Amino acid sequence: MARDLTSVTSPAAPEAERNWWVHLVLLVICVVAMLPVVWMVMTAFMPRDVAKAVPPQWIFTPTLDAFRVLIVDKGMLGYLKNSLIVSVTSTFLSVTLGMFCAYALARFDFAGKEDVSFWILTNRMMPAVAVILPMFLIFKTLNLLDTYFGLILLYTAMQLPFVVWMLKGYFEDIPRQLEEIALVDGDTWFGAFRRVVLPLMTPSITATAIFVLILSWNEYAFALFLSGSTTKTLPPAVVTFAVNAEVSWDVLGAACLIITAPIMIFVIAVQKQFIRGLSMGMVR
Amino acid sequence: MPDALRTAPKVALQNRRWFPWLLMGPTLLILFAVGIFPFGYSLYLASTNIILSKPYLETYFVGLEQYQYLIQDPDFFNALRITLIFTVSAVFLEFWAGLGLALLFRRQIRGKALYRLAILLPMVVPPLVVGLIWKYMLFPNSGLISYYANALAGLIGIAPPTFLNEPGSALQTLIFIDVWQWTPFMFLILHAGLAAIPAEPYEAAEIDGAGAWRVFWTITMPMLKPAILIALVIRTMDAFRTYDQIAVLTAGGPGNSTETLNIWLTNLAFRFFDVSKGAALSLIIFVLILVMSTIFIRILSRTRIDEGE
Repeated sequence: MARDLTSVTSPAAPEAERNWWVHLVLLVICVVAMLPVVWMVMTAFMPRDVAKAVPPQWIFTPTLDAFRVLIVDKGMLGYLKNSLIVSVTSTFLSVTLGMFCAYALARFDFAGKEDVSFWILTNRMMPAVAVILPMFLIFKTLNLLDTYFGLILLYTAMQLPFVVWMLKGYFEDIPRQLEEIALVDGDTWFGAFRRVVLPLMTPSITATAIFVLILSWNEYAFALFLSGSTTKTLPPAVVTFAVNAEVSWDVLGAACLIITAPIMIFVIAVQKQFIRGLSMGMVR
Repeated sequence: MPDALRTAPKVALQNRRWFPWLLMGPTLLILFAVGIFPFGYSLYLASTNIILSKPYLETYFVGLEQYQYLIQDPDFFNALRITLIFTVSAVFLEFWAGLGLALLFRRQIRGKALYRLAILLPMVVPPLVVGLIWKYMLFPNSGLISYYANALAGLIGIAPPTFLNEPGSALQTLIFIDVWQWTPFMFLILHAGLAAIPAEPYEAAEIDGAGAWRVFWTITMPMLKPAILIALVIRTMDAFRTYDQIAVLTAGGPGNSTETLNIWLTNLAFRFFDVSKGAALSLIIFVLILVMSTIFIRILSRTRIDEGE
């Protein structure tokens, strides 16, 4: 009897003899989870008339027409470049700056420490949409609308609280005696940090950077209102293809694929760090 | 740990009071510029009567009138109600679905890693793209799901489902899409939480002959509490702020049946250019989230302290 109930009893229980129903349930869930993504990928390679055909066509001759339209007519490569510039730079900045801040919060005792960390966290609570309006007006006054600098500054600020809170926990897990020994041996503070702490932190920093990069790459609301013709990133650009009076689904599918593919390939490549970083970082 | 490590003297670092502030400087500066400054600016805007599309109006100080106006506006309660329904139902469904999946994954299953990868897929699709894909699949009559749903409804002889086009079903459809995207997240966190539970209590329960149901409620759930809390807190905060998918899928419609606080805010500020009301509303939303998260953080730190004892 206990064998049937392994899911709620011992985790080390052997594979139940007949758990075909588990496979059935999982298969159904996988189909539901994957269908929209699979359909998006298929649509991206459909000829235009197949993409809007009724009933939906499952079999067709794949074509790259939609991608040609995007790259030649719609300037997709420019948006791709903007997205890369903004997300990579802001990831680098927020992880680098946030790392030092997290280190200070994890290592030093000073007055107001708790207040500072809570205040940093409250910055993440403000919904992006609520920040956009004042930022829009401030950027307008400072001529920062439609500049890389403005977007990168905003994205960096948006990610910093997350970085600080993730890394703070990881730093706290590293015994501080390790650096103190290096200091006694005559190392400078930065030397000790670089040679002793940083190597231990590399996996956690990588995991954090992965998340930040994904979040920045996907960001839509800020980019929609604060970027312009020269800095528009992929997300707002793609939406313009969708709201036109005459939607061509194949082009939309291809555009969605262009945004999604880098992330998916990336996540599958770093699957281990992604899952470990996310779950361990939160369930500490 | 060897004794030498433990007795290493606390070195000069601790004496330099300004040093941590130097390290935190850049972060605090950026957060100040992009956090506090807009906050103050919003306070100023909310105390005036600026409407960007009517620059000829004279700007004057109105005190708290904007807040008063908003709170008396039936649209405010509509938006608050919809936001709450969306958040609570989505998080509730995601939690039980994620927990069920996580429990299922404790079994020895062949091909587990592959299943897990497939299940995690929706989570890595950008929210915006999620909105666009579902919009395409639910497109009336010709969309993939609409087409088959209509055919199926015709076969059984019921009215075809309306999905995003009727006030009655639009919010439910949005909730379903949120569940589709974020159940994997719940699953991931709860799965990690389950993996961290030691085997001993289960072995003891097995010896005592406790039934599965009782084991679940007396061992699994209490031991899983920290993971449950963190998963619920993160998802609740994020669901409350959902913007991308809703903006793409319904933009608040039909009528205002899916107009959450965020959507209403962008409509006020960027469609009607009533920046003062927009600023006031953004501050109200901020206070709501601040109160919610303070409560959550209290609960979290309390359970962490309990754990420590």
